[in-house]
Amino acid sequence: MPASQPLSISERLGKVSYRNQGRASARAHIVVDTNVCNKTCPHKRTTYVCPANCYTSDESGEVHFQFEDCIECGTCLYACDQGAVTWKYPDPEEGRGVNWALG
Amino acid sequence: MDDKFDCIVVGGGIAGLSAAMTLARAGNRFLLVERGEFCGAKNVSGGVLWGSDLHTLVPDYWNHDDAGFERFVNHRRLTFMDDTAAFSVDFKNADFDVPPFNGVIVLRARFDQWLAEQVQGVIDSGPHPEDSLLATDILVEELLVDGGRVVGIRTGEEKFYADCVILAEGVNNLLTRQVGLQRDYVPSDHFAVGVKEVIGLDRQVLESRFQLAGRSGLTNEFVGFASGGVEGGGFLYTNRDSVSVGLVLAMKDLGEKHRKPYDLLNQFKSHPAVRDMISGGEVLEYSAHVVSTGDMRSMPRQLFKPGLMVAGEAANLLLNSGKAIQGMDYAMRSGILAARNAVRCSETGDYSENAMAQYQSDLEDSYVMKDLKSFQSAVTLFHSPAMYDKMPRILCDFGRSFFGIRNEETPKAVDMLKSSVKKHSSLWEMAKIGFKASRSL
Ligand SMILES: Cc1cc2nc3c(=O)[nH]c(=O)nc-3n(C[C@H](O)[C@H](O)[C@H](O)COP(=O)(O)OP(=O)(O)OC[C@H]3O[C@@H](n4cnc5c(N)ncnc54)[C@H](O)[C@@H]3O)c2cc1C
Ligand code: SF4
Ligand code: SF4
Repeated sequence: MPASQPLSISERLGKVSYRNQGRASARAHIVVDTNVCNKTCPHKRTTYVCPANCYTSDESGEVHFQFEDCIECGTCLYACDQGAVTWKYPDPEEGRGVNWALG
Repeated sequence: MDDKFDCIVVGGGIAGLSAAMTLARAGNRFLLVERGEFCGAKNVSGGVLWGSDLHTLVPDYWNHDDAGFERFVNHRRLTFMDDTAAFSVDFKNADFDVPPFNGVIVLRARFDQWLAEQVQGVIDSGPHPEDSLLATDILVEELLVDGGRVVGIRTGEEKFYADCVILAEGVNNLLTRQVGLQRDYVPSDHFAVGVKEVIGLDRQVLESRFQLAGRSGLTNEFVGFASGGVEGGGFLYTNRDSVSVGLVLAMKDLGEKHRKPYDLLNQFKSHPAVRDMISGGEVLEYSAHVVSTGDMRSMPRQLFKPGLMVAGEAANLLLNSGKAIQGMDYAMRSGILAARNAVRCSETGDYSENAMAQYQSDLEDSYVMKDLKSFQSAVTLFHSPAMYDKMPRILCDFGRSFFGIRNEETPKAVDMLKSSVKKHSSLWEMAKIGFKASRSL
C-alpha cells in the first residue's frame, strides 16, 4: 500500500498481526454493556476515539462493539466514563490481541 | 520456599527490563513476567529514547553488531504547519554524532527484544544463571497481598512469591489500580491516544532524502495542521529502512470534536511537507497506544507500598512538552532506581513501607521528578489552543510574507508579524503567550 494514499481503517488493520488468528473463537478481553451505550450515554465518545474502530454506530445510531480487531491500546479504558466497559488484557492462550512486528 | 525470589518484575517493557538488568548485574535472584509472546510484542512508542542511560545499562551498546536501536539522533526539527505551509526550526549538530548519543530512535518490538537478550546474557554470565528467569507469554492477573504487604503474583492458578515486586506494567496500569495506588477509573482528561504508521523506504532513498550518514537520524515534531485542530501534535522519526509517522492526540478533545484518530493521520500524511517525505514508501504497520501527557494531576501520588514499587508509565512518568516526548527515558531511570532500592533492601532485609519509600525519594531527587515538576506549565501551554492552533497559523502566515519576494514594496518584518498576529489572534494574546513560554520552557 503506497504511503502517500489515504488508507481506510480496514486496510490499516490488515497490516496488524493478531494472536491466535487461527482459532475459531477467542475469549473476549473487553466486554461492553451496550445497553448503557444505547440507552443513557450522552456522547458515545468511544465510537470516535477507538483507533481500531471496534466501537461503531450504525445508520440508526445504535452502538455496537467487537473485540476481534482490538489492538489493546487502552483508549476506551479512559474514554468511557459511563461504566460500560470492562477492560482486561487478553489471555495469552485463549484471547486475541496484538503481536507487533515493529511497534 | 523453593520458588521465592528476591524480586519479581511485572512487565518486560523499558522500565521492567531496565530494572531486570540492574538486578541481574547485582546478582539478585529475580523473575520477570511479560504477557507478550516476546518482550516488545505489545509495545508502541514514537519513538526516541532520550539521553544516555542506555549506556549505563549496556555499556558501549553502539559497538554491538545489531544494537537494537534504529538510528542515533543528530538532527532535530520542530515544524509549525497550517494547511499548505510548514515553518521549521531546524538544528543539526555534529557533537551529537559522538557516543554516548543524545538519543536513539527505536522500534519497540525489536528494541525490547534486544534489551531482553542483553539481560539474559548478564544472567547467564552471573554466578547463579538458573535462579533468575525472563518469562514471556504469561499474564499476571493479581498481586498477592498479605497483611498489607505485597508478597507475590498470581497468574492463572499459579502463585509466585518474592521479597518485593517492581510493577512496570505500563500506562494501562490495572495492577496499580488493584492495590489502590491509582483510582479504579481514571478519566480521559490528561491522556492522549497515539497513532502511528511505520513506512518502509529503500535505505538509499531514505538516507539521501533525509541527508543521513551511517547510522545518524532525524527527529521531526509537528504542531498545527498536523492534529487538525485537535489538541496534540505529530512526529516523524527516521528508522534504518523506514520512517515512523504519527500523531499524539488529546483523548477528550478528540472525542468532543468528533474526530477519528486514523482520519487525522490520513490528513497529516496528505500535508505537502509530509507527503514529500514519505512518497514512494510502503506502509508496513499501523499501531496505536495510550500516552500520558505529563500532567501531574493524573499521576499516582504514592509509588510504593510495603513490598512494592511502581516504575515507568505505570506511574504515569512521562513528559510531553511539545519539543519531545519523554516516556522511555523516564521508564528507564525509574526502573533502575526501583531495582537499586530492591538490591539495597535485599542487603538489609528490610522491605517495610519506609524502605520502599526510599525509591520515591530517589526519584524525587532525579531529573525525572525535577523536570516533571518544573515543566508543568509547559505541559499546560502546549495543550492550549493558542499553541497548537493559532501559533502555527501565525508563523506560517508570517513565513509566507517574509519568504515570498514580490515585485512590490516590502513591509518590514515586524509589521508582517504584527499583521499575521492580528489575522489569527491579538497582540495582547501573543504577548501573554510569549511571556508564559519564556517562563515555562
Ligand atoms: C505513539 C507514541 C509515541 C511515543 N513516543 C515516545 C518518544 O518518542 N519518546 C519516549 O520516550 N516515549 C514515547 N512514548 C511513550 C513511551 O512509549 C512509554 O512511555 C514507554 O513505553 C513506557 O515504558 P514502560 O516500560 O513504563 O511501559 P511499557 O513499554 O508499556 O511496558 C509495559 C510492559 O508490561 C507488560 N504488562 C502489562 N501488564 C502486564 C501483566 N499484567 N502481566 C505481564 N505483563 C504485563 C506489557 O506487555 C509491556 O511489555 C510514545 C508512546 C506512544 C504511544
Ligand atoms: S462512551 Fe461508554 S457508554 Fe458511551 S458509547 Fe462508548 S462504551 Fe458506550
Ligand atoms: S483498547 Fe483500544 S483498540 Fe481496543 S477497543 Fe479499546 S480503544 Fe479500541
